[in-house]
Amino acid sequence: MSVESLAVELLSAMTTAGSLFIIAAGLTLVFGAMRIANIAHGSFYMYGAFLVSTIVSSFGGGAFWVSLVAAPLIVATLGMVVEVTVLRRVYDKDHLTQLLATYAVFLILADLAIRFWGAQSRAVPTPAILSGSMRLGAASFPVYDLFVVGAAAAIGLGLWILLRFTLLGWRILAAVEDSEMLAAKGTNVRLLYTMVFGLGALLAGFGGAVVAPLQSIDTGLDANIIVAAFIVVVIGGLGSVAGAAVGAMIVGLFQALGILWTPSWAPAYIYLAMIVVLEIRPSGLFGTAEMA
Amino acid sequence: MTQDLRDKGIAAALILLLGVTTLNGRALAEDAVTIGVSTTLSGSIAELGRTGLAGVQMAVDQLNATGGLLNKRIKVVSADDGASPANGASNVRHMILSDKAVAIFGPVSSAVGTAEETVAGQYKTLFVAFTSNDIKITTTNFNKYAFQVVPNTVMEPRAIAYYFAENVAPKAGGKRIKIATITPNYSYGRDTVEVFLKTLKELKVDFEVVAQEFPQLGATDYTSYISALLAAHPDYVFAGIYGGDLITFTKQAQGFNFFTQTHIMAPYGRQAMRALGTNIPDGAIAWDRAPFWAEKGPGFAEFLSSYHTKMNAWPSAWAIMGYSAVQAWAYAVKKAGSFEPEKVAAALSGATVSTIRGDITLRACDHQADVPEYVGVVSAQVHPQYGQPIYSQTVAIPASKTMITCEEAKKLQP
Repeated sequence: MSVESLAVELLSAMTTAGSLFIIAAGLTLVFGAMRIANIAHGSFYMYGAFLVSTIVSSFGGGAFWVSLVAAPLIVATLGMVVEVTVLRRVYDKDHLTQLLATYAVFLILADLAIRFWGAQSRAVPTPAILSGSMRLGAASFPVYDLFVVGAAAAIGLGLWILLRFTLLGWRILAAVEDSEMLAAKGTNVRLLYTMVFGLGALLAGFGGAVVAPLQSIDTGLDANIIVAAFIVVVIGGLGSVAGAAVGAMIVGLFQALGILWTPSWAPAYIYLAMIVVLEIRPSGLFGTAEMA
Repeated sequence: MTQDLRDKGIAAALILLLGVTTLNGRALAEDAVTIGVSTTLSGSIAELGRTGLAGVQMAVDQLNATGGLLNKRIKVVSADDGASPANGASNVRHMILSDKAVAIFGPVSSAVGTAEETVAGQYKTLFVAFTSNDIKITTTNFNKYAFQVVPNTVMEPRAIAYYFAENVAPKAGGKRIKIATITPNYSYGRDTVEVFLKTLKELKVDFEVVAQEFPQLGATDYTSYISALLAAHPDYVFAGIYGGDLITFTKQAQGFNFFTQTHIMAPYGRQAMRALGTNIPDGAIAWDRAPFWAEKGPGFAEFLSSYHTKMNAWPSAWAIMGYSAVQAWAYAVKKAGSFEPEKVAAALSGATVSTIRGDITLRACDHQADVPEYVGVVSAQVHPQYGQPIYSQTVAIPASKTMITCEEAKKLQP
């Protein structure tokens, strides 16, 4: 295998990792702060992609950049509505009830998506300035894929700044540690939860919006992404954003190497990565064991 | 108005109302016969199931508009299987037991197809597969109530191999052709690629396989697969990826200049060509089980225009095959003079039926219809008549070249 091919393969792995990280970051944040495994996170991702396709098809290709901001904001609003109307009622219930509640939301949103957008596959054209490809010797690599990696890096940086340097971020981290203590200190935890859930939905919506030009947008996206996102979160450690970044890279690399070396077994590699990590660190790479 | 008149008015209204109700009641009791469609109506392959169901419904509407069948109105019940064999099986059981369905029209996924066939067989109910195309329906899983009107998992790859050997291989100028394959990681994907390569060998095509990839069905990210395929420097890539997956693969491959570095062969049909528009890879070798621009059977033109008027889109292969599946069933019901599945199955076995796809014969030995597979070359130009790209060349590979023999089928049947 030539050096160019290897470079392209590694860049491909980074693209996979980048798109997985954006969605996994929101999932892990919500789980960390609220202890809710949100199945409907996949629905938010799908709505992000569908909204981009609607905006672009109504206002033309130039509206892509607007949709990249508008779609996640609409999805974040939807997320906050879901939190206020559904999740608030199940915080004091056990994990299974919470899981069922988010699964119910997932099913409802999937049906509504078919009502709104129909079952036809949609495609969003790649924005003109990012549609070319970059040459690497004899090989080429899509410019848009680099944009996805860049967007993931920007999200990572943004989340780091948010969690490190802002009051909201400190409160989120405090909620991950001990939400009861936080409430006792006078923080409005209800409002905080709504904001965290909205942020999670925003990230899922952004993840869907960014990859919209790279995929067929249809009603199965929600289910197809949620399993991979959970694997990333479990590898990285539930609740850890840094873990989600490392987990996404591990999944991307394992998948790429699997495809290269033993293609017949490639789909098994990411599960293998998960098993190995859980065997060594049962709470994930960056996770801490949940205190009873 | 006097009391008397008002009373008379009320009485008249009551009589009218009662009359209408009893008429309706009688009508419902004696003239509706139910058929069931359990298919995938949600998720990434929903477009296949939904357009297929639309085809079945249009055929039924057409029958009802001309007096129904044996003086009975036909009613369609449908249910979503979510691409799960267990759901498909329970849908079919429910349709047969509660809705009294006399015939079941099949699903999208092959795995669901065999599950539905088995349940329908247990309850001695007719089963017609028109989208899923597993050869097991007519061989190892065969029962006498099951029929298949779609080119199966042997006919399709064989047809592509014939086309390749006749139209593509001679252009290699005696050089060994490097082939890579990418198909989804389940029975359809594995079987299709195996039969394709085996048939090329039988046809004495000089080739070697340089890479084989098996991504998950419904994968959202093909980038690593694409770079691995390109790293193997194939002359041709056999990509048996369907539905939204093929659109995703194509979009992601474009950024890698995939289509200038190698030639693709893939099932680009109505769905992909509509979604991708002029971004479809020009010159790709493609196949379709029933392309709307190539079908020319009796009544097809009328079907095409009424489908387009109703659905605001051209019919998919699944819609066309769904329509012809109902035509085949209706033919057998008329011939048998009964809806009784036992008699209908006997009438359909070995019958030649006139459909919008032309005459099709359902072989008596395995109930597989002798339908062609269409292979051709994609043109990225928007066709002036259809407003979307179609093929620049479409060749129908006849079933006579691709079907397994009756002896082979008999040997595999239980």
